[in-house]
Amino acid sequence: MPELSAVVMAGLLGFGVFIGLLGSALGVGGGIFMVPFLVMALDVPIHQAVAASLVAITATSCAVAAVNVERGLANVRLGITLEVTTALGSIAGALIASRLPAGAVRTLFALMLLPVSVMMFEKGRRGLSRPRAKAAAPADAAPTPFDSVFFDPALAEHTPYRVRNMVPASFVSLFAGSLSGMLGIGGGVVQVPLMNLLCGVPMKAAAATSNFIIGVSAAASALVYFRKGLVPAELTGVIVIGVLLGSFAGIYLLYRARAEKLQLVFSALTLLVAVKMLAG
Amino acid sequence: MPKKDFSEKDFGRLIQLTLLAGVLVCVLLLVLGYAFSAAGAPVPGARLLKAGVLALLLTPAARVGMLIYGYLRGGESYFALASFIVLALLAVSVLV
Repeated sequence: MPELSAVVMAGLLGFGVFIGLLGSALGVGGGIFMVPFLVMALDVPIHQAVAASLVAITATSCAVAAVNVERGLANVRLGITLEVTTALGSIAGALIASRLPAGAVRTLFALMLLPVSVMMFEKGRRGLSRPRAKAAAPADAAPTPFDSVFFDPALAEHTPYRVRNMVPASFVSLFAGSLSGMLGIGGGVVQVPLMNLLCGVPMKAAAATSNFIIGVSAAASALVYFRKGLVPAELTGVIVIGVLLGSFAGIYLLYRARAEKLQLVFSALTLLVAVKMLAG
Repeated sequence: MPKKDFSEKDFGRLIQLTLLAGVLVCVLLLVLGYAFSAAGAPVPGARLLKAGVLALLLTPAARVGMLIYGYLRGGESYFALASFIVLALLAVSVLV
């Protein structure tokens, strides 16, 4: 464990702000960056790094969801329904994590992310090349209890949307939850494209709802580490404060940015994560 | 749809307050913990830091508890049941 000097604390705080910004604007927890940073830059043992990362993901989720739920950006009905299979998968993932070769899980995950990255890029690029269109719920889709509407300041209008494919989405959520349990990540990197590409949820609502979901799976896993005394509280506390500062700033970014730009940034993020995981 | 005496806005505000209260308690405990540690009292400082982390980790469970309350009050039994299952799974994950 590193000596928590003023410089190290400032570094942790700054990194926490970065993770908070990333998490709140894109709907991911940032665990995929947090764990390598703590292990490689600060020499933190891997289990403590995973534990600190899960606490940081919980912090982002709580801070961001507090604002997004009240604004109507996070779809709570969709979120709580997907949380059922995500939490199930999270427990299953944590239980089978020790029985599966980690390399195989990482490779499978990375191979799945590559086409997701391409699809998100294409969707974002097509959206940017078109003039801003008024958003509307597809007329042919049947209404569901998950349908919602939010105000998008970037378009200066309310954006209604219908949610489709909930059954396949629940199965993919189970997979996202199991990845969370196995790899110590929040699972947002799966949840966001799942909601955006499969369920038809607009990018901003997908990011906000993903943030809402990942808090539960991250907290569940983090509590296991906490009970085992593996959460380094002194180091984690600094990261949490940084993450909270970044999260509140990131909410503003999410609210003002164009959805297509967020899709392009998310596409780059998933590509980066896939390459990193394939490289081991 | 939720009953009129408990609107969607009230529900959102309830969830917001629950999450913000959890975050606020966490930050207060963390700041106090660092203050104690800096003042040369590392043992109570460390305890406060752990309490801050624990407060944060229990916040999503409190949020799910409020969802159960809100959906029951709004008459949306399907979502109340889904919230209850998530809370039960959270409890299971702690015991696993």
